[in-house]
Amino acid sequence: MGRDGIAGLFCLVTSLGLFAATIGLPEATLLVPVGPGFYPRIVLGITAVLSVALVVNDLVARRRSAAAGPAQPDVNYPLVLLTFSVFGVYVAILPYLGFRISTFIFVAAMQALLDPPRNGRRWLLMATVALATTVVTYYVFETFLLVLLPRGRWTDF
Amino acid sequence: MYELLLTGIENILEFKYLAPLFIGTLVGVFGGALPGITNTMTVIMVLPFTFGLEPLQGLAAMIGVYVGGESGGLITSTLLGIPGKPSSIATMFDGFPMSKKGEPGRALWLGIWASFFGGLLGGIFLIGTTGPLAAIALEFGPWEYFALFIFALSMVAGLTGASITKGLLAGAIGLVVTIMGNDPVMGAPRLTLGMGFLDGGIPFLPVLIGVFAFAQIMSDVEKMGGTRSDATSGFSAPKLVVSHLKVVWEILSRPFLLLWASFIGVLIGVLPAIGGSAANVMAYDQAKKFSRHPERFGTGTPEGIIAAEASNNSNVGGSLVTIMAFGIPGDAVTAVMLGALTIHGIQPGPLFISQHHTLAYGIFAAYIVAHFLMILIMFVGVRWFMRVITVPKAILFPVILVLCVIGAYALSNTMTNVYVLLLFGIVGYAMVKGGLPLAPLILGVILGDQIEINLIRAIMTDSNPWLFLTRPISGGLLVLSVASVVFALWQHRRHHRRHPPSAEDNVDF
Repeated sequence: MGRDGIAGLFCLVTSLGLFAATIGLPEATLLVPVGPGFYPRIVLGITAVLSVALVVNDLVARRRSAAAGPAQPDVNYPLVLLTFSVFGVYVAILPYLGFRISTFIFVAAMQALLDPPRNGRRWLLMATVALATTVVTYYVFETFLLVLLPRGRWTDF
Repeated sequence: MYELLLTGIENILEFKYLAPLFIGTLVGVFGGALPGITNTMTVIMVLPFTFGLEPLQGLAAMIGVYVGGESGGLITSTLLGIPGKPSSIATMFDGFPMSKKGEPGRALWLGIWASFFGGLLGGIFLIGTTGPLAAIALEFGPWEYFALFIFALSMVAGLTGASITKGLLAGAIGLVVTIMGNDPVMGAPRLTLGMGFLDGGIPFLPVLIGVFAFAQIMSDVEKMGGTRSDATSGFSAPKLVVSHLKVVWEILSRPFLLLWASFIGVLIGVLPAIGGSAANVMAYDQAKKFSRHPERFGTGTPEGIIAAEASNNSNVGGSLVTIMAFGIPGDAVTAVMLGALTIHGIQPGPLFISQHHTLAYGIFAAYIVAHFLMILIMFVGVRWFMRVITVPKAILFPVILVLCVIGAYALSNTMTNVYVLLLFGIVGYAMVKGGLPLAPLILGVILGDQIEINLIRAIMTDSNPWLFLTRPISGGLLVLSVASVVFALWQHRRHHRRHPPSAEDNVDF
């Protein structure tokens, strides 16, 4: 099974699972002739049918073209995974360390990940960008735009 | 109408509105010139800055980004042969060859002035049609609204991506997002899966920010880490001196081309969720078909540049019409604008222009004034914008992500929206890798609640389901929905017979 088939199967399982979860919902009342499960069941039913169509299309297309699929371009998935991980850590530490500390760490870490510094000048640039981003965003949002940014539970900063 | 427009222009020329409009246009031109940074991304970055502003200040900034972005993309397209964004790809076809022939100033300013005139023609359409269309929509009952939203969704599903099944499935996934949380009629909790934060439903802005920001950033990140490509190696600033009168005459002496390209742009803009990139290519293609010398296209002919640039700026006017008259975003940028309006408690739709006419005419005025600001910014800073491609993505991406986090957090000052942002960032990237288009997903998320509310309202008013088909407008729209899906199916089959699908098909931001 190819990319489309897997995506279709995932959507099918999710929609059927959610469909099952609509079963216990309250039924229609005199005032509202349809219950809260009416519309979700239609949407999930349509999603399930489309998912099946995607799986079938994939299987049919694969049977028709037995030849090897198009060449995949060079993709750096480990870097994508690491980028998501660094962002995940940023989101996780934000409520504990606060906006200023975690943003500084995040911006520095992301730069180091995407373009590792090779000399002292680049390390300095990386730290400067991280500091400037933190200071400018904090100052602009908190002072000028009156948008409150997260304070750290551990640091109170 | 014109008195209101003049008042709107007077308003927008006040410093407190002019400043965000100018900054927005400047940021838009900058973002537009940056290869790989779309208008959607730029407007997402600007979004958190608008939270603390008045609605018109915030919208002026966003309209500036939109107009500036459509024009900014042509700088790197014409001078360096690197499209700043998808909607300036066709500009490159003739702009870059003209530059290489030793006329970089002519190529650039043909594009800039064509953007200006195309944009103003789009503005005439915007101002002239929004009111009458909204008046028609005011006559709609829940049946018609339901049918209109279904039509919008089916059109988008058919028009984006290379597979109609994937387009429809992406739209359906968007609708699934909206059924989680309290139901909009009885307020009964449903499908919260025991997670407290889902009680209030999933807000659409963090979904939109997450999906678009991560889909784009990660698609770039996955190509990084290999050999470093230095796009600016050997870069030297070309001479851009040109006679502006001559260039303007070159454009205005082709009135049919300008009008036709602008008309295509407006039309594509009105259609939900397909934006400037389609307009740009389609107008170029049309200009080539109508030309007496089609063989000159691709070698640096002015017609190619004029058609491509006039269409992508007039497209902005068309996109603004659908959001202001019907509350349906014409593309991802107007979807963010819709979010910005709802943050201030304003619901775009047929009542918008009558209930908030100062704001509506302020938007029209901002759109027109932004074009003059764009010209001014280009006069002063075009040499600077050529150098934006030297900004490393390793610096740009973390800054963008920090702004995304601020945007999501500041919506309700809770971390919940940031978690939603991360979750849908993963979903967005997974959808790109799965070949599912993003535009139908977003439209589904935006329209889902309204589809349900109007469906239930219609049933509560009259339980006869045939009314959806027997009421002329509702029936007509539903027939058009089916027709658009059938047409898309036919078109996809024809396309697949001619061009077998490739691995990177269907990737759409």
